[in-house]
Amino acid sequence: MNVTATLGAAALLTALACSVVALGASIYGQHSGSRAALLAGRRAILAAAALLSVAIVALGYALLTNDFAIAHVASVSSSEMQARMKWASLYSGQPGSLLFWTWSMSMFMAAFVLITVPKISWGSAHAVGTLGAVLTTFLIALVFFASPFRLSPVRPEDGTGLNPLLVDPGMLIHPPFLLTGLVSTVIPFTLGAAALMSGRLDQAWIRHARGWALASFLVLSIGNFLGGWWAYTVLGWGGYWGWDPVENSAILPLLPMTAFLHALVVQERRGMLKLWNLVLVLAAFALAVFGTFNVRSGLVASVHSFAQSEVGPYFLVLVGLVVVASVVLIVWRLPRMHAEVEFESLVSREAGLILNTYVLIAMALVILGGTLFPVFSELIQDVRITVGPPFFNDVVGPLLIVMLFLTAIGTVVPWRKAAPGALGRRFIVPGALLLVALVALAVLGVRDPFALAGIGGAVAILAVTAREYAAGTLALRNARGMSWPGAFGALFNRDPRKYGGYLVHVGVAVMAIAVVASTVYQSQTRAIVSPGESFEAGGYTMVFEDLATRSPGMNGIDVEVVARVRVERDGKVEGYLEPGRRFFANFPEQPVAIVAVDGSLTRDLYLFVQGWDAERLTEIQAFVNPFIAWLWIGGGIYAAGGLLAFAPFRARRPVVVEDAAPTGARPV
Amino acid sequence: MTSVTRPFALVGVAVLALAAGLLTSIQGASAQLPPTEEQAIAIERQLLCPQCTNKRLDVCELAICRDMKQIIRERLAAGATADDIILFFEVRYGPQVRAELPREGFNLWLFGWVGSAIVAVGVAGAWFLLSLRQRARPAAAAGTPADDAWLDEELRAADERDA
Repeated sequence: MNVTATLGAAALLTALACSVVALGASIYGQHSGSRAALLAGRRAILAAAALLSVAIVALGYALLTNDFAIAHVASVSSSEMQARMKWASLYSGQPGSLLFWTWSMSMFMAAFVLITVPKISWGSAHAVGTLGAVLTTFLIALVFFASPFRLSPVRPEDGTGLNPLLVDPGMLIHPPFLLTGLVSTVIPFTLGAAALMSGRLDQAWIRHARGWALASFLVLSIGNFLGGWWAYTVLGWGGYWGWDPVENSAILPLLPMTAFLHALVVQERRGMLKLWNLVLVLAAFALAVFGTFNVRSGLVASVHSFAQSEVGPYFLVLVGLVVVASVVLIVWRLPRMHAEVEFESLVSREAGLILNTYVLIAMALVILGGTLFPVFSELIQDVRITVGPPFFNDVVGPLLIVMLFLTAIGTVVPWRKAAPGALGRRFIVPGALLLVALVALAVLGVRDPFALAGIGGAVAILAVTAREYAAGTLALRNARGMSWPGAFGALFNRDPRKYGGYLVHVGVAVMAIAVVASTVYQSQTRAIVSPGESFEAGGYTMVFEDLATRSPGMNGIDVEVVARVRVERDGKVEGYLEPGRRFFANFPEQPVAIVAVDGSLTRDLYLFVQGWDAERLTEIQAFVNPFIAWLWIGGGIYAAGGLLAFAPFRARRPVVVEDAAPTGARPV
Repeated sequence: MTSVTRPFALVGVAVLALAAGLLTSIQGASAQLPPTEEQAIAIERQLLCPQCTNKRLDVCELAICRDMKQIIRERLAAGATADDIILFFEVRYGPQVRAELPREGFNLWLFGWVGSAIVAVGVAGAWFLLSLRQRARPAAAAGTPADDAWLDEELRAADERDA
């Protein structure tokens, strides 16, 4: 008997039982008013989380001890892999990633049960019941369709090793962030579902959902950034976002979650958008489950691979259940959802926020359509097509530009309605800056309309945000006699939510400039050169000195072949780059690129090798990517703003929920 | 220049510097290739590897892709147009090798979906905003009016000073 596999499988089975208990106890407690049953439901969620932790530790132990009797360990690990890379093995492959998904989700659920559930007496039973139902469905998939603890029919001498593309330090952080971000959507979803079921549709659930939604937004955003960075530095195609179905699946839930974070402000302050906010959180979770289904089923690659997938059809049913249940709940409660105050003017902060959420949802619908269309083409026409970057760039690009300008306008316009004179004055300086920037770009030769509009939108955001920061800093400086830097720092202490949010906008604007510049003005050179020959790329002379080999002797890497390239400018040596290819012992047909990047604030020189022959005639591709560093800098600003905005959730504004459940259950 | 507008001057300078940097970068990055190689790479970027998932031909190293790149250069040298060459590969490997989805036939459903989604969101949004005006019921507790009321006051004062 394999003790580790038995322990892990038993933990999963018991966790499944606990999740069923959580569901059942919550339903019983809600109907009977039994305090003991409601408490049992909460404890069952905590127990399931603890048992899933036992399961994931068991799998980690099996990986570290090379327990190749376990089929998953044999398929994603090998004895000579570094221990740190075995962390990546933990969540690679279908069973491992599904276990990580479910464990991570259970951690969120446990935190939610401990932190928030005691404060929502109006809907605690509904919330815990929802958690139990969701956890049960994922544990059924884990136990019956994709268990990571299945034993190999014959114990192999060694494992196959990690998929070569995943043998990269980026894999140690990108998937955990992304998977955690996806699962975290379950908490706002649960609060929305509890609000619908309990009939408590006022601001109560919104107040609790904000912090969880912000955490989800932040982790999901960081996961997507890291994915772009990994694609850029590992995949070797010169870009960071390829509109691949898996990438699309990762960004889809982020769009309604971002929309929710903006729309909830309107509900908090103006009592509007009750229906819309519920739709957004339900959509975010449905899209997260869709992403899980999409990645695991192989559906978009081909309907045939979907048919061969065990877990694919199961997740399809799950996505359908989430959508149907959400629609039924919303239709049931629709009569209760009415705005509490009058919407006064289209020229108001709330109108700007609402319009921006519409643009975000339009983007989500367009991306979803483009991602799924190949499936319909194959099903209906039996024609396999590809919906690639040109389509997405053409349709999402203009929506992004609209979003940039709406973000800028929404920042300037006040709540309720704007007095025309004061509003005009607020636009004067940002408008003038935008005009100057556009004229300067045009004079300097930028003619591409997408570039002008994209950079214009970004400049507009930077200008209005600078005005907001300047006005706030001046106000604090005048009121407290502080220095300029002191007053600026105090702004974030005074209202971290607002000024942190503005910092996120600055990050978006900086990233937008980088995206536009690197998309429109990327240049590409291919050279086939012998040792000693050179080629020109981006104003630099690249001298190919020779090929060299090296054998790291770990992580399944058999040999690395690199091309030593001397980078010169005006006859002066600027440095050396070593692009190449990495070959793996167990995956001889799947070499991966070694990308060499010489980065600066204005451009990246990006080299990779495509092949060579016996005479060392080598094919090298060189990209010059303008302003790409600003994509990562913008991402950092965005993440910092998100963290700052999180501050009030943690400490400054404790949430007080004052009332009892309306449906009969006693507070617990 | 008031103390409120002074930071904008700095932003203006930064924007101009950014624009100048962009242009310098663009000029420095001008392609160094002979025209036919540029054309070949432009065609490669419109094609996908027939054996991979969503991998552009120009960055694919598989043998089949190397052959395709060679064929592109041969056909260009023989006087074929980009459309001819892309059609040749489409006939040989199927429509999935096209990076850009042709706007014809069944594919029009996708473009219809895009248009419908945007129009539907727009119409639903407009209806929703208008209905908010009609259905709204006055309520005493309409959210927290202003946790930044202090700033609104200061802004009003600043606007008045500017005026």
